[in-house]
Amino acid sequence: MDLIQYNFDVQKDDFDRAGEASSNIKKILRQLGIDAAIIRRIAIATYEAEINIVIHSFGGEIDLEVDPSSIKIIAKDKGPGIPNIDLAMQEGYSTASDKVREMGFGAGMGLPNMKKCSDEFNVKSEVGKGTTITMIMYI
Amino acid sequence: MKAGEGVDNKYFHSVVLQEDQCIGCTSCLKVCPTEAIRLRDGKARIIGEKCIDCGECIRICPNHAKNAVTDKLSMLQNFKYKIAIPSLVLYGQFSGKVGINAMLNALKNIGFDEIYEATMGTEIITQVIREKILKEGSIEKPLINSSCPAILRLIQIRFPDLLPNVIDIETPIEITARIAKQEAAKKTGLNISDIGVIFISPCTARVTSIRNPLGIQKSYIDGAISMKEIYGTIVRNLNVFPEEYTTTSNREALEWSITGGQSKAIGVDNYIAVDGINEVIKVLDEIETGRLEGLEFFEGMCCAGGCIGGPLTIENPYIAKTNMRALAKGLPCADISEERIKEYIRLYEEGFIRLTEPIEPRAIMKLDKDISISMKKMEMIKEILKYLPGLDCGVCGAPTCRAFAEDIVKGENQKSICIVKTMENFKKKKI
Repeated sequence: MDLIQYNFDVQKDDFDRAGEASSNIKKILRQLGIDAAIIRRIAIATYEAEINIVIHSFGGEIDLEVDPSSIKIIAKDKGPGIPNIDLAMQEGYSTASDKVREMGFGAGMGLPNMKKCSDEFNVKSEVGKGTTITMIMYI
Repeated sequence: MKAGEGVDNKYFHSVVLQEDQCIGCTSCLKVCPTEAIRLRDGKARIIGEKCIDCGECIRICPNHAKNAVTDKLSMLQNFKYKIAIPSLVLYGQFSGKVGINAMLNALKNIGFDEIYEATMGTEIITQVIREKILKEGSIEKPLINSSCPAILRLIQIRFPDLLPNVIDIETPIEITARIAKQEAAKKTGLNISDIGVIFISPCTARVTSIRNPLGIQKSYIDGAISMKEIYGTIVRNLNVFPEEYTTTSNREALEWSITGGQSKAIGVDNYIAVDGINEVIKVLDEIETGRLEGLEFFEGMCCAGGCIGGPLTIENPYIAKTNMRALAKGLPCADISEERIKEYIRLYEEGFIRLTEPIEPRAIMKLDKDISISMKKMEMIKEILKYLPGLDCGVCGAPTCRAFAEDIVKGENQKSICIVKTMENFKKKKI
């Protein structure tokens, strides 16, 4: 079986551990021998996704799937969902609270940045249920 | 392979183990930032390929079993004209009562014809970065200082995509050595090969870099003597000989070997200065994931406090810093003419003080060249990890349970076992 799967839990409001999933994913990809430039794109995108879960959601997880030709990152969360995805995809748009912005997050670059880093990008969201972001990078 | 085996060795390292003093305590395993140490047959072994010579293991070893291979004073005999370049860190190793002139005279009288202060190098780098590299913007931001050899090797291994950000300029010592040799050759009429430049080093990684340089073909430095080793001789020589050397150092130079000193000298607003290898790793992680937007200059120093905390120093880095501050007060501020700045930039443009060789990434962490084999190995590691306790106790000889599993999969561990797991199984057995 030429597929590697890893799963990382991400807790709501856990700023202490925010970044752990992306950091672990980076380590795994480096051991697999993935090109440094691709690892960097994935690290940026995964970190954005991770922070989004910490700040906006009620908790979620990040899945990593690697096959010999591509890397897939799936960031799934439980609620509250994004009412208007087109708006959320605009650079600078953010619903983060002032408190979160003061910490240097919530600049409204999260989703656009993730898209920029991926070869394939997809957001599915249902208000009240949750959001799933799928990113694929070709090796 | 044991580290430090031979001079020509591709993996020559200054950091070595004195086997008879090692009791196999696992202290060094835990602090190694690149997981380059394993215990085998009860003794610590350094994996040459992974070691970056940071000296963390030397610092922590309670039995003084980790040491540094440096050159001996007897090597002076190989040269007709001998020049010493003491690291600026030396100035902080004496109490405030000893002046720089006294120290340098004491050093010179050990058997050197001339002393060159590293100040020359720090001044050149400062001006070239300030007036040329920052203004032209030809290197990716944030600029990363090239002065700490352990950090350079760390970047090669762990942050290869940040290599283009490393400033392509030599270190203060190398630059000083180059100029010193040229000037001495002109003055004495001797061949360059008859002139020996010896560095008095606070740093293990620098010793390695002299024999195995990064970014240049060959170092102009002929040897490095440990500051710790030569210290006693300098102390005995203090105030014995008439003072004939007068320091040309300035305040900025003295701050160079202290974290933040480079950033301050360069004069950028948006900089970050970090010391201690683990903190450097954390901040480089942030830079790599694009979290420090607008950052212009990253000054990363492996040792706590900067070079002043080097593993081959005598004085506590905080006390040394206070000593340096006292000395700096008596020195003038740097005052460099436009002509000299132009001359420095010319030296850089001509490549004389520049890193001319590419610094290549070193993918030593990867499990296999072939990605599908890597993936299979990764699955095996995951599988083995399920059966390990996850305590990272180090008794098996690997720093973590994960490293233990990796070693098995890579075929680098045939012998050692997990004692915790064995004991658990033992307890479960019914009589």
